[in-house]
Amino acid sequence: MLKVRVIPCMLFNGFSLVKTIQFGTMRNLGSPIQAAHVYNSRNVDELVFIDLKATEEHREPLYDVIHEVIGECFMPLAIGGGIHSLDVIQRLLSIGADKVIINSEALTHPEFIERAARKFGSQCIVVSIDVKRNGRRFMVMDKRGATTTRHEAVPWAQEMHKRGAGELFVTSVDQDGSMAGYDIDLINAVVSEVSIPVIASGGAGKVQDIIDVIKKGHADAAALASMFHYSGHTANSIKQRMAAAGIPVRIVGP
Amino acid sequence: MTTSKSVVIIDYGLGNVASASKAFAKLGASVKISRDKNDINTATHLVLPGVGAFGEGIRLLEESGVIPMITERALRQKIPFLGICLGMQLLASTGNEFGVHRGLNWLPGTVDELSGTHIRLPHVGWNEIMIQKKGVLLQGLADRNFYFVHSFVFNCTDPGAVIATCGYGDGFVAVVEKGNIFGTQFHPEKSQVSGLTVLKNFLSYA
Amino acid sequence: MKLTYCKNCVMPNTKPDLFFDEEGVCDACQSAERKEEIDWTSRKKEFEAVLEKYRSKDKTNYDCIIPVSGGKDSTYQTYVVKKIYGLNPLCVCFEPTHQTSLGKKNIDNLGRLGVDVIFFKKNPEVYKKMVIEGLRRVGDNEWPNHVGIFTVPINVSVRYGIPLVIWGENSQLEYGGPKAAADREVLDRRWLEEFGGLLGNRVEDMLNVEGITREDLLPYTYPSQQELDRVGVRGIFLGYYFKWDARAQLEIIKKHGFSVKEDGPVEGTYTNYENLDEATVSVHDYLKFVKYGFGRATDHACIDIRNKRISRKEGLRLVRQYDGVYPKYGVTNLIDYSGLSKTEIDSIFDQFTNKQIFKVDTHGILVRDAAGNLIKNNYDNE
Repeated sequence: MLKVRVIPCMLFNGFSLVKTIQFGTMRNLGSPIQAAHVYNSRNVDELVFIDLKATEEHREPLYDVIHEVIGECFMPLAIGGGIHSLDVIQRLLSIGADKVIINSEALTHPEFIERAARKFGSQCIVVSIDVKRNGRRFMVMDKRGATTTRHEAVPWAQEMHKRGAGELFVTSVDQDGSMAGYDIDLINAVVSEVSIPVIASGGAGKVQDIIDVIKKGHADAAALASMFHYSGHTANSIKQRMAAAGIPVRIVGP
Repeated sequence: MTTSKSVVIIDYGLGNVASASKAFAKLGASVKISRDKNDINTATHLVLPGVGAFGEGIRLLEESGVIPMITERALRQKIPFLGICLGMQLLASTGNEFGVHRGLNWLPGTVDELSGTHIRLPHVGWNEIMIQKKGVLLQGLADRNFYFVHSFVFNCTDPGAVIATCGYGDGFVAVVEKGNIFGTQFHPEKSQVSGLTVLKNFLSYA
Repeated sequence: MKLTYCKNCVMPNTKPDLFFDEEGVCDACQSAERKEEIDWTSRKKEFEAVLEKYRSKDKTNYDCIIPVSGGKDSTYQTYVVKKIYGLNPLCVCFEPTHQTSLGKKNIDNLGRLGVDVIFFKKNPEVYKKMVIEGLRRVGDNEWPNHVGIFTVPINVSVRYGIPLVIWGENSQLEYGGPKAAADREVLDRRWLEEFGGLLGNRVEDMLNVEGITREDLLPYTYPSQQELDRVGVRGIFLGYYFKWDARAQLEIIKKHGFSVKEDGPVEGTYTNYENLDEATVSVHDYLKFVKYGFGRATDHACIDIRNKRISRKEGLRLVRQYDGVYPKYGVTNLIDYSGLSKTEIDSIFDQFTNKQIFKVDTHGILVRDAAGNLIKNNYDNE
């Protein structure tokens, strides 16, 4: 059975790991390298590393840092932030990244997704969609949650799928950092309309939140950050509860 | 770990060579990513990586000029040879992704799209393999979950070579072994401890 | 990348969990200002009420636990509880990684204040494995020490049934952190994991490392909530109830036998009265420096600035001279203790070095000065 993935999300501000709340306040958590080492020692399913400031600062990903992060990791790595050209993707894949996560470039040039998928294969291309609720509508946000685009989440997800995205990384801006639960309705709405895997992000606070986003939201994977950063839970302790709830997961280690 | 193993990961322009290289290095082998004749001729183990489409893969492999050398080393000199993901698929007779293409034909069978009703493609994530017979690669596994990312599979028609399968969709071949020729559909270099065990077993085969 | 420094002290904004306000002043400096506004008389009364509540009324048990290292802070804490308040504390010391002779002398001196001290001598094999793993995994050779000093006293508290545990300063108050934490008086597991220096690595993550078993990790395993509730464990910071001034406190305890390093400052800083008990601490400090661009000298200069003992200008001068110097002695001691090679230790330093904050040459290689030290891009706001 294909296992549901629990994915630690490392948010990077160009210098250190940060924790965000509603995409706003950033709390500096320290070196990304030690965090990567800890996750690797815990045999996690996958790692997501996003450079939150690369696009805003008009720069490319910090290949040195990413290289160190990938260094000891023998699990899949998805890298996001500042991905605006095929060359950048090529470079990231060559230093060991498995997938790239594209957000703002998809909004300004959706055909970029097609070109990237054609060149590198859909399985390498994850499109990230940040969503904020506006009444009953799910609006796609740009500039790290600062600007509302004219797109709504579900049709946008469908378009990205059509263009060749291999996976979708859907984040609720409202729930981000709150540890009050994922936006289940949002995830459910997207999952029902696409047939590519959807990774849910934004809001995990307790194990039940993850169980809910999988069972009620039907996400294929749950990304989380805050819950891991305070050492409150490990992926294994979460997965044991998920397994008890009947969700197929991979449990390794002591 | 032994230091007498020298692995050459064939560089033909496709595949996550960095991770495979790191994995073998961690296991104590000396590793080169190369298409150079000399390197291939002196390697103790050869690895064919690959991510992407079959047609593109075989074209690049042909263009790189390595096929005669690796055929000599693997089929005649019986050097241990491991194909990973697309690398395993290229061992087939033909591939049916975006047209019909000829493969290396080291193992009989075709490469076709993963079939099944209501399944999501690509098949991406961790999945469990079912071990069909005793082989070399899968000894001493603590866990049978491996990382897969593919939409096509190798329908190997030599049942003796099929060591493990995976139940996604209508099911498919996950691991092949025939003498010194090995193939895994999953990515051992991305499969944490289980993956490293597979690579360690490959290195121990002489 | 240029570092931004606090306008008041000399701490850069790269320090995890440090916040700067709109005027560019860090929250540790803001806390120091708030210290002036606190009604310390009323806090003192609160402290006395806590002592009264928790002390052993019939004297069949100790009144409280004081986690000690033999250092100036814990010696001061012991002095306050024993000499000023006349209580009977049980001091609990978690053995340092590689104790210095000065450290031993100061721990012995503690007994002379008239207290019982439990000196927890850790299983050296297990501990050493964690020192090495902590160094490789999270770039901190003192990782197991952080766990030990915060966990063993709590375990003693539970096992001896002594609920009150008196810590010294609240690091977050003195060094900066989220406001809620700065104002808290109580130490608990969440604090330990967030600020106690565990760097995201849990104790359980050490299981199976070089064969470490669950039994090996007993002393490092925090008691369950039930056990804590059963005994009613309460940890408090003395620094919440009394205005903390390390230098003033030092003068007091020197009169009670506390010894400082007579032959010069501790490696990596300009002071000679702190971190005296650990022979490898300068390696830990240096790792902090390469990760974030500030070392122990910066920490001390900031405290002295906030306590108005030196000017910011003097602080900057001290930092330039003493901060981030390659820890020759620390490395030698670590090699001696762990058996690791200098090559491996240096490669770990490099791995954790954040190249963005140091000068690199055109090939991206770190530049070193004549003494072999890294050079920051900027030592003050430019």
